[in-house]
Amino acid sequence: MSGSPSMPDAHSSLSPLKLIGLVALFIALALLPFVWGNRFYISLITEIMIYGLLAMSLDVLLGYTGLLSFMHNAYLGIGAYVVGLFLIHVSPTSLWLAFLVGIVFTGLVALPVGWIQVRTGGLAFALLTLAFGMMFYTIVWKWYGLTGGDDGLMGVPSPDIQLFGWSVGNTGNPAHMYLLTLFVVAIALVLTRRIIRSPFGAVLEAIRENEERAAFVGIAVRWYKLFGWVLACVLAGTAGALYILYKGYIGPTTMSAFAGAGVLMMVLLGGMGTLWGPIIGAGIFIYIQDYISTMTEHWEIFLGLVVIFLVLFMPTGFAGLGNFFKRLRKG
Amino acid sequence: MKHIEDIEMSGIATAVDITLNSLVLGGVFLIVAVGLNIIYGLSRVMNLAHGSLYAIGAYTGYTIVSLGINFFAALLLAPIIVGIMGLIIERTVIAPMRKRSMIYTLILTYGLMFFLDGLIKYSWGNEPRFVAIPAFMRETVSIFGTHYPVFRLATLATTAAVMIGLMLFLNKTRIGMILKAASTIPEMVSCLGFNMNYIHIGAFILGCALAGVAGIIAGPLTTIDPLMGHEMLISSFVVIVIGGLGSLRGAVFAALLIGLVQTLAEFFITDLAMVIVYMLMAVILAFMPRGLFGEGKFE
Repeated sequence: MSGSPSMPDAHSSLSPLKLIGLVALFIALALLPFVWGNRFYISLITEIMIYGLLAMSLDVLLGYTGLLSFMHNAYLGIGAYVVGLFLIHVSPTSLWLAFLVGIVFTGLVALPVGWIQVRTGGLAFALLTLAFGMMFYTIVWKWYGLTGGDDGLMGVPSPDIQLFGWSVGNTGNPAHMYLLTLFVVAIALVLTRRIIRSPFGAVLEAIRENEERAAFVGIAVRWYKLFGWVLACVLAGTAGALYILYKGYIGPTTMSAFAGAGVLMMVLLGGMGTLWGPIIGAGIFIYIQDYISTMTEHWEIFLGLVVIFLVLFMPTGFAGLGNFFKRLRKG
Repeated sequence: MKHIEDIEMSGIATAVDITLNSLVLGGVFLIVAVGLNIIYGLSRVMNLAHGSLYAIGAYTGYTIVSLGINFFAALLLAPIIVGIMGLIIERTVIAPMRKRSMIYTLILTYGLMFFLDGLIKYSWGNEPRFVAIPAFMRETVSIFGTHYPVFRLATLATTAAVMIGLMLFLNKTRIGMILKAASTIPEMVSCLGFNMNYIHIGAFILGCALAGVAGIIAGPLTTIDPLMGHEMLISSFVVIVIGGLGSLRGAVFAALLIGLVQTLAEFFITDLAMVIVYMLMAVILAFMPRGLFGEGKFE
């Protein structure tokens, strides 16, 4: 696979300088809670990382496969509810088992939904994500006995974080939760990057660029789309597992269409097809949201205007700015 | 024996009730879905703000009626106002997107939806509103033992009139024929010297005005609240996806089908009615990805 310049393989390995920089960034982030005791900001960064993971999972779909999911937050919600229900009803202490159950369940839900969605074209796919997302939202909202309906799922226990038999922390502690989130998101990012830079990822990009030609050279387009979809949903489910541990609570609004637009905006803000861009986008979005929602209750109008502005004038997002400056320097 | 007769009578009455209700509901779905279909067919724009425009139609109707103006005047005025909003939207944000990928247009109209919803909440607030309908429409007539509201029958008649009018417009007038031709072979219509720009604008205004019509006739059927547009948007998606995008025949059948299923589901299981509708859609799509008649034009 290597050698051909058109393959993403050719630039799959980072330059040593970038690699050292990223490792340094990771170590710095990991040391942050030990040197900086501000609980508010530690929690805010945790939330940004969780939503960053969700936005990144949407980017796998949108930026690499060219498929649009309006309500990707639905899969965060499914993962979160399943992990929460598992911790409440089955075992309040098995953190990793809960993680596994949440992720596998999200994947199992995503599989038949995706199978139906990939049977249609790009536009119908997008419309179907909205319809299925609304369906999950309705179920969570109306199934009071299981999910707590409007009140949300409350009283989720915070289990200890067990590592090789030792308890290294508790998810109820913001600093421990921060570190857990950092490690899970970092692992997910590295794994996703490996997958995206593999021949599999190249096929996804080929489908994005020209579906008919991809089908013509013998690629089973539907199967690849389905794999891409399930991968994106499983990542979103992982973000959901972190979300419920971080908040200890989840309500149906997390799964609403409005929240879905927020995730879409994070990807747009950060820049599609970059993986790291959406994480930056999540940071900007959550910070702005915190800021504007304290100033006005008509936050929807601003959200709408920002989305329209971004699509019209800044379609490459924050990540695009880097390229823009690079082009300026090169003249 | 009398007792059994009573039950049978009420059984028939219930059946008539359900049939008429599903026709009324299906009719509203149809008008909204046809509006979406027309815009998509001519401009390849899937307008996610369509539900919000429908809600604005209902709210404008409410405001006009509460100002003391005749309900029938509102029936004419509301679609015109929504049509003008459509013109403004087309010129400012939709037209610049003409050459861009469809994903961007979808995201843009999604943003537009939130903007319009925010405007609705800003102008009319969160609490539900009720439209006062003319006195004679509040009465009921007896049909096969059921007492059916006159207003719902009038809604049914209006739906039929709008659909027949639309058919005549598309099939018998010159402008309508140009629109139809432009939805099949836009290049040829353009070559014949018709300005496609005007066709795009016209289609968008027509689609929005239809959303406005649906809004004003649906307003008195339910309560008017800021979320009504979302529900309608999702329902009309289900209709056009099941019917096949761009297929008028499919839309008619799908709208009536969804109207019936939703009415039945609301009658028997209430809370999870919409889930049944989504399930139905999933099953139909799994076996007929291009819609009921296989006429869908998905890109």
